[in-house]
Amino acid sequence: MGEVRNLLIVGVGGQGVVLASDIVAAVCLRHGYDVKKSEVHGMAQRGGVVYSHLRYGPNVHSPLIERGRADALLALEWSEALRWLPYLRPGGVLVVDMVRSIPPIALRDRMTWKSAYPPMDVDQVRALQVEVCACNAGQLAEELGNRKVANTILLGILSNLLEFSQEEWEEALSAVVPPHTVDINLQAFRLGRSVHAERFTAGGIPVDLPPTYGVPRRFRVEIVEAWCKGCGICVRLCPEECLRLDSRERAKVGDPGRCTGCQICQLLCPDFAIAVHEEQVEEASIRG
Amino acid sequence: MIPDVRTYLRPARMPHILCPGCGHGIVLGALLRAFHRLRLNPDQIALVAGIGCSSRLVGYVDVCTLHTTHGRALAFATGLKLARPELTVVVLTGDGDGLGIGGNHLIHAARRNIDLTCILFNNAVYGMTGGQLAPTTPQEGVASTAPYGNIEPPFDSCKLMMGAGATFVARGLAYEPLALEEMIARGLVHRGFSFIEVITDCPEYYGRYNQLGKGPEMLMSQKRRTMDIMEILATKRFVVRDRPEVRAWNLPYRLGILHEEERPEFSQVCWQMVAGREMV
Repeated sequence: MGEVRNLLIVGVGGQGVVLASDIVAAVCLRHGYDVKKSEVHGMAQRGGVVYSHLRYGPNVHSPLIERGRADALLALEWSEALRWLPYLRPGGVLVVDMVRSIPPIALRDRMTWKSAYPPMDVDQVRALQVEVCACNAGQLAEELGNRKVANTILLGILSNLLEFSQEEWEEALSAVVPPHTVDINLQAFRLGRSVHAERFTAGGIPVDLPPTYGVPRRFRVEIVEAWCKGCGICVRLCPEECLRLDSRERAKVGDPGRCTGCQICQLLCPDFAIAVHEEQVEEASIRG
Repeated sequence: MIPDVRTYLRPARMPHILCPGCGHGIVLGALLRAFHRLRLNPDQIALVAGIGCSSRLVGYVDVCTLHTTHGRALAFATGLKLARPELTVVVLTGDGDGLGIGGNHLIHAARRNIDLTCILFNNAVYGMTGGQLAPTTPQEGVASTAPYGNIEPPFDSCKLMMGAGATFVARGLAYEPLALEEMIARGLVHRGFSFIEVITDCPEYYGRYNQLGKGPEMLMSQKRRTMDIMEILATKRFVVRDRPEVRAWNLPYRLGILHEEERPEFSQVCWQMVAGREMV
């Protein structure tokens, strides 16, 4: 019985984890291998975790990869890469897009966008005896004209590590992706393949972190007291609980610092008594 | 940021007379944002209304406005559109005004397919005159003239309009002002009779008689009574959750743009005919 190779593809909902694993499975089948894969995409539409186990070889019995047995981990998002790192075998390869998707639960402050997101330190991961191929696939995909092909760029990088030929990859890719996206996916795949050759074989990987942190914004809630009838709709529907009724039953801004500028109060005020204005935030306070 | 549409109001007349928590003002806001979005010239907009709470709204808007007799807003608007076809004519009417006393005008405006946009504020009751039973009061709902609960089945006004031949029929909620704005904007652009029913609230009468809470509770319950958003607008369908414990608010209705078709428009056909006669 020949050797079975294990590939784990992970990301968050909407990034194309399942499609990427479908493409790899198609390549393996074309090569004459037995393939088994198993995926979970529970809360995918809410930005939740998506992962796909893929095993191929002359004869595969189980679709599930054991901890510490994956030969390669293809991560479409940084924190997902860290989450699944224990599944990688010693000396395994991590192909990772340096993109940051902050889960809602980790977003501690909607004004300043402070979060409990782990530091994006490639060297720390490399210290764990993991070969890391990191790139900004999302940015490269945007330059190609479609943010969605980031997964194909990563497949291009991965393709250099696997034994299949470029023709096999491109055939499988063309067969699996939606027909109108074949051209851009082929471009993305070739780009990924060349990025690897140029940038990752030498060892030193330049990673330019995209500025995904939101710029803090500040809002002013204007309430026309003369028009307010104190119905309480704004108070009840403000998701940040910024508003309250005062002793005369008029809407008042309790905590202006919590306003995120959603404008629900303005939209739902039947008396045209509320307007939300965005304030200019000085450069210095953004940096600080 | 959504635009501040207070520039369309007549500030000297504000605040409006509607009760605290009444949803009508939210609907007016959506209408004004639709005007703003389509960059319509206020001098080329005519707001026509009959009698009722909803009809009072025209007085607060700084466009050409016409406050007419009970139920006859569509009749006045039909005349206005035929005389001045270049105007964007919008009719604000309530469920009592439009479906009760003015029901006859409503079905015939739809049949003719005259290029008007009719926004019908459905708050399930006659609000201005003291909470009497309306043609849209749900069965078992209590009104001042139905103290033991309504025994008549209510109108489904969108079905009525589709049957009468309206070429654009939509239904929205005051609770969803952005979706409503989209529907109104599409109705304004549509050439032909556009009918948009908006579910709003009357906390003062219907809400009080039926223990449905005040403004915020009634507004939020609009959303709780609908579920399953499949797709946006044109194909948007809500499957309404049946809540037998609140029969007074049992709305077997669908939301979104329910019908859209192209048919010859009445004022255009009329003027073409007149022009043809003059040449002879």
